[in-house]
Amino acid sequence: MKKPGLKASRRTLQILTLIAFIIIPLLNRSRYSLVYGNFLSFHFFGIPLADPLAVLQLSIKNLYLTLDNVIGVAIPLAIAFWAGTVFCSWVCPYGFFSELVNNLSRRVLLWPRIELIPRGRSFYVKLIIFIGGFAGFFVFSLTPVLNQLSLPAWYARFFQYLFGQDYFSYSIFFLAGLLFLEFVAGRRFWCQFICPQSVLLVLVKQFNPKRLRVDFSRDKCICKAGHERCEKACSLQLQPREAGKARELECCNCGACVVACDRMGKALKFHRGKGGE
Amino acid sequence: MLLKIFLRPPGARSEEEFLSRCLQCGQCAQVCIFDCIKMRVGFNPFMAGTPEINPKEAPCHLCMRCSAICPSDALHDVAIEDVRMGFAELDRKKCYTWREFLLCRSCYERCPIKWRAMELERGEYPVITDQCAGCGLCEHVCPADAIVVTPTRFVRAEKNKLEGDE
Repeated sequence: MKKPGLKASRRTLQILTLIAFIIIPLLNRSRYSLVYGNFLSFHFFGIPLADPLAVLQLSIKNLYLTLDNVIGVAIPLAIAFWAGTVFCSWVCPYGFFSELVNNLSRRVLLWPRIELIPRGRSFYVKLIIFIGGFAGFFVFSLTPVLNQLSLPAWYARFFQYLFGQDYFSYSIFFLAGLLFLEFVAGRRFWCQFICPQSVLLVLVKQFNPKRLRVDFSRDKCICKAGHERCEKACSLQLQPREAGKARELECCNCGACVVACDRMGKALKFHRGKGGE
Repeated sequence: MLLKIFLRPPGARSEEEFLSRCLQCGQCAQVCIFDCIKMRVGFNPFMAGTPEINPKEAPCHLCMRCSAICPSDALHDVAIEDVRMGFAELDRKKCYTWREFLLCRSCYERCPIKWRAMELERGEYPVITDQCAGCGLCEHVCPADAIVVTPTRFVRAEKNKLEGDE
């Protein structure tokens, strides 16, 4: 049997996640409650999972941690430590929609894509929002406000409202509006500049020098300058040929560049540890 | 602004503490087998997704499943006798039994902690004691709408206000 490709397995996982969060509230409604929760906190057959940022906010505000939260945070952080921010590209439903919209916009958009912030600086914009949100939480608010910026949680919550209590939440229009803006701008600006949930994952992966990353070997590259397949494939508009530099903060190991390069010189590959030329 | 009166699930900490701990994940609503816990709706970032109970629509039966699974301890595990979601008040002028209109013991029959939270004076007339958990079952079943549950957070706020005035 042929081994499924990188892109096929990634899409399968993404779509399974999408469907799972539609089915879970329906199951809960018919009293099947072994799996419940949304992207902020989740129970999978008794195994707790939690959004590291949500738990960080609570634990710093209250100086208190529960065992559930410790385990729940350890699992996603361990995955990020080992394999980078794969959550964004392999699981997150908003990431999935955003990627599809970006691919579509690249094909049909007539005007040039908007360059908001110089390349490689977007992570610092994200960090500013992250720190600002934290400061706002401590000074003004009682509730962990950064949770409201979690778009996957809004996606899951929409179905929790719809099937759990027959309420049609307008949050879906907010998501659709954002996707439309991303389509017009031709950039995935929420994932790149705003999403505070990814900041912790990015910081954690920096501690592991042997994490999974994309590696580039220059001597194998056969693309002409200006016609790089990998750069066109990257939905975050990174330059995979510069793998190993600061820009890697944004790379979420989706493997689109690796797949594109497989048809050319096979210069890009997934690799553990510091890549060499 | 019209404030809709709602209860927090059993085992909830004081409102301020509760809000700073609640992850807004909706797990309590999903395990509630009586469908009484709802997630608050709307875009208010301080309230959206936190649990609420409207006893008129669906009262809490004090099964305590929600406080057992809360991952961040915003609802903590307490004994049923120690639950204080609110306080029920009985209006004797509306109550059928107290008006001697007919003999009704709906509230007493349904109270999950009867004889502690609710007693029968002279074997017939329902009286709510200070052991009341405030689950709202009696408010739900009362045919005369004589019982109203006030959430604990409002009672506390009023008490603090009075103390501040003195």
